[in-house]
Formats: sequence, C-alpha cells, structure tokens
Amino acid sequence: MDIFRHDILAIVGNYGSGKTEVAVNLAAVRRQAGVAVRLVDLDLVNPYFRTREARHQLTRLGIEVVLPPEEFLNADLPVLSPMVAGAMRREGGLTLLDVGGDGVGARVLGALAAAWHDRPPCLVQVINPFRPETESVAGCRRVQARIEEAARLPVAGWIANAHFMDQTTLEDLREGVALVNALVEATRRPLVLVTVPERLRAAVPADLFNCPALPIRRQLVPPWLSAETL
Amino acid sequence: MGKILMKGNEAIGEAAIRAGCTNYFAYPITPQSEVAEYLARRLPEVGGVFLQGESEVAVSYMIFGASACGERVFTTSSSPGISLMSEGISYIAAAQCPAVFVNIMRGGPGLGGILPSQGDYFQATKGGGHGDYRLLVLAPASVQEAAEMVMQAFSLAEKYRNPVMILGDGLIGQMMEPVAFPEHLATPPVNKDDWATNGMANRGSQRPNLVKTLYLDPEQLNAHNLTLRAKYQRMRQEEVRFEPYNTEVDYQVLIVSFGTMSRVCRTAIDNLKAQGREVAMIRPQTLFPYPEAAVREAAAKASCRVVLSVEMNMGQMVEDVERSVRGQRPVEWFGKCGGEVPTPEEVMEAVRGLLAR
Repeated sequence: MDIFRHDILAIVGNYGSGKTEVAVNLAAVRRQAGVAVRLVDLDLVNPYFRTREARHQLTRLGIEVVLPPEEFLNADLPVLSPMVAGAMRREGGLTLLDVGGDGVGARVLGALAAAWHDRPPCLVQVINPFRPETESVAGCRRVQARIEEAARLPVAGWIANAHFMDQTTLEDLREGVALVNALVEATRRPLVLVTVPERLRAAVPADLFNCPALPIRRQLVPPWLSAETL
Repeated sequence: MGKILMKGNEAIGEAAIRAGCTNYFAYPITPQSEVAEYLARRLPEVGGVFLQGESEVAVSYMIFGASACGERVFTTSSSPGISLMSEGISYIAAAQCPAVFVNIMRGGPGLGGILPSQGDYFQATKGGGHGDYRLLVLAPASVQEAAEMVMQAFSLAEKYRNPVMILGDGLIGQMMEPVAFPEHLATPPVNKDDWATNGMANRGSQRPNLVKTLYLDPEQLNAHNLTLRAKYQRMRQEEVRFEPYNTEVDYQVLIVSFGTMSRVCRTAIDNLKAQGREVAMIRPQTLFPYPEAAVREAAAKASCRVVLSVEMNMGQMVEDVERSVRGQRPVEWFGKCGGEVPTPEEVMEAVRGLLAR
C-alpha cells in the first residue's frame, strides 16, 4: 500500500504511541522529497510535548505548520483553528494531521467531515508495543476500535514505532515488527511504515520488513536534551 | 510486565497498584489527569476502586475516611487542587493516618498556568494546612524514580502513620521514559488493628478504635503535638535521602537542585566540565526531611566559593539551603517559574556570572 497517494494522512494511535514524533519526521522526509507539506496540530487533548515544539525547525524546512493561535498555545483548551479546515480543503501536496490520543483525540476527525468532504483522510495508526495497552494484538485492536468509532473512519494501516526513547535497540525494533505483523495477519490491513532511530539505521538488516523505513530524529525532548537536526 | 515506556503520570498510577494500593480518589486537573485516565481503566482489572470526588476538598476527606478504616489509599492532583486538599491533609496528619498524596506541580500562584513548576515547595515542606504537622516529601527526578518513590511512599506512610507527599513537576508527569516496577518495593500492609476503625469483629476486639483530631484539653493537645514532633524528629534521623553529583572533584560552585530541574543542572555541569570548570550538585530526594548535613559538608569543601540553589520557582528552597550552609558560603538563587524550564545554557550562564564576581 502506498500511503502517499492520499492527500490527507491522519496519524492516530493511543496516548504516547509517538504520533507527533512520527508526524514531524514524516513531514520533514516528504518535504525533503520535494512535496508541499502542511502539518496540522490536531491534538486537542494534551498541551505537553506537541508539534508546536518543533515548529521553528519545520518552518525552516518550508513546511506549513498549522497551530492554534499563539495566545492559546499553552492553554488546556480544545482550540480548533478555522485554518485546520482550510488546510484540509487545499489540493496538491500532503496534509498531515497530527491527531490527539485514542478515541478521545480522534473524535475531532468526525467533526471535520465537512472540511474533507469527498476526500476523507487516510488513517494510519501508530503502534509502540512497549506502551501500556498496545503490548498485544487484542490491545491494539481495542484502541483501533475506539479510534474508528470516534473518527467514523477506518484505520487503513499500521506504523510500527517500537522504541524506548534513546535506549532503543535493534531487538526492540524486531519485537515491534513482529507484533505489527501479527496485527496485519489478524486485520488484513498493511504495515505501511517502520520507524528507525537515525543512529540505528545502518544496523537494520534489509530483510527485517518490506515497507519503507522512517528515520526518526527526535524533536520532542526534555529540556536537558537537544533535539536532533531534521 | 518487564520494562515499559510510560508517562510519569501512568507510572505513578501503576506503581500504586504494584504497591498494593487499589483505592484511588481524585479530581481531574492538568497536568496530572492521565493518572485518573490510566487508573480508570486499570483499577477495575485488579478489583480496585477509582472514585472521582465532587471537589478536591471532598477527595481529601475520602482519603481520610479510607485511611482511618485501615486501607491503603492515595490521590493525585496539581497545585491548586492540593491547596484545596490542604485542610484534609492537616486532619489526616493530626489523626496519624497513613496516606499518599502526589502533587504534579503547575505554575502559580492562583490558577497560574499548566506548565511545569516547583512553586509548591513551601506548601509541601512547611505546612500548607494549619497546625504543627509535617509531610514526608519525596521529589523524583525521573519516571523510574517517581514509580519507585510512589511504591516506597505507602510503607513510609504506614511506618510513621503520616501522609507522604510525592512532589513532582508537570514534566515528571508528562514525559515518557522506560520504567520497571521493582517487586521488592511492594511491602505487605502493616497490621493496623491497634488504631484503625477496621471492624471489631475482624480484629476480635471488645474495644472500639477511635480516629479523631479534636483535643479540647490543652494538656492533651500539647502531648499530642509532642508525639507528632517526636515522629518528625525520627524522620529527620532516618529518612534523609539525597544524590551527590560530581562532588569528588575540587569544585568552585555547589548547585542544589531537585526534581527535573536537577537534570537540566546535570547537563549544565557536564558541559561546564568540558569547558574546564568544575561544578558539583547535591540533589535532595527528600525535601522534608532536608539533607542539611550533606549540603553543609559539600558547601564546606575548601575549593567551593558559592552555593547556587536552582529552582523552578522564585527561590523557595533558598532558606533551607542557607539554614544548612549556616553562613559558611554565600547562597545565591537562579530560577524561573512561568512554565518554561531553564535551559542548560541559562544555568551555565548563571554559574559563569557567579565565578566572574
């Protein structure tokens, strides 16, 4: 499955699955491939560790970042800027939606139905098997069901995002791919991307998975660490 | 469950379950609502109870009631919520009931903001509620430490029959790190038959237990306060915890910092070392009892010129540092409290400023 034939990609998943880090890195990779990219911060649930933290790097790369108005950036208010609907109506290039966690976070997609009209977003669910609840196929499917019900859209495929922040090993990646492969088997929906920490890229064997890899350069870091260069 | 990637808030919830606490009463507030979110899902799986109170005041008395009945019980909140709970906390301390309170601090005073802060240092260590009581206050600097301190807090609360507070900031609650839950930290509850209102039939007793905070007789109230005081003295002798960093070298500046702020200081200390400047740190892990002797001894090192208290507040810990240093060295402060955590560069700049004097 080529997810990039869709104009609007919605990155969904449970809390802390790594949606924002995936969305930010995916935006950078697509932009560097010459695609016009709009990245929309649609996380209405939690104001910590969000797309906005990487906004300066993203803007420098020529990515259009759609955020709530500046004065509401640090409010725990569900602010949905009218620019979101505008970004979804635009044609050409890629609109990436960084959606909030779980069904609660995905509900906003249903509310935006008028904006995407006859071009529904393609939902891809991020899975980190080292997070609570998505350690098993059954758990991943429970999260999937909650997201689909709230968004009123199907999850089209999976992104394997197995990591332990800066302590991720090759073995962890292997474990992540294995879980998502079992999920593919159970759901007949494809694995579309596997995230790989930049420093492990060279060490990943070619036969570990047969979909594109998304190198991750961490952007959402605590204040004592520096973000990697996108 | 082996190693798992968790937000601090989730790890705090799971740690309580691992410690054998399945009673959780709370009221939601950013930045700690994920504890309730997590436990609302997890507690039914282990036969536990999560009850949302109608306010934080109500929650504090639900905690009091459950604790008086001999149950392990805890709550989590953030700064304004803890202010509301402070009345109940004073009652619980007065009644000598064990309970665990977690404060994931946000900016204040008043509604303040929702970003990380350490502005409740005074509230946690010097009172908050009325009367002569103390909380045992633990300050974690990582998700792993938050989990371990929550697990230890229940047995400490039972050892002293006193509320224990975990004082974390918004970042501890929100950031994700790998965490494991050490089984050895889960201790069986102690026998509470001699004081708890846990049912006369259960304990085969003819005598009802009474949990109370009212002492109208002045001599009795004084005696009661002396009992509490003796307990706090014992905490000072037995529970002080701290972590030294880079103290083995000849340093010119001693930093004192706790919680996530200390991790920024660590990076600053490492960077300064690379530039040929030596700075050490004492990180208090208990804020009450305070590691006075450790701070005093580290400040007394011959090479040390100045002590710098680095905090995400306006300098609330400075007086404890000064009290510890006892005038041997000047004590300075650096910090911020709007919600932006000071960067390693800003801490380095503050240190360089002191050395240039």
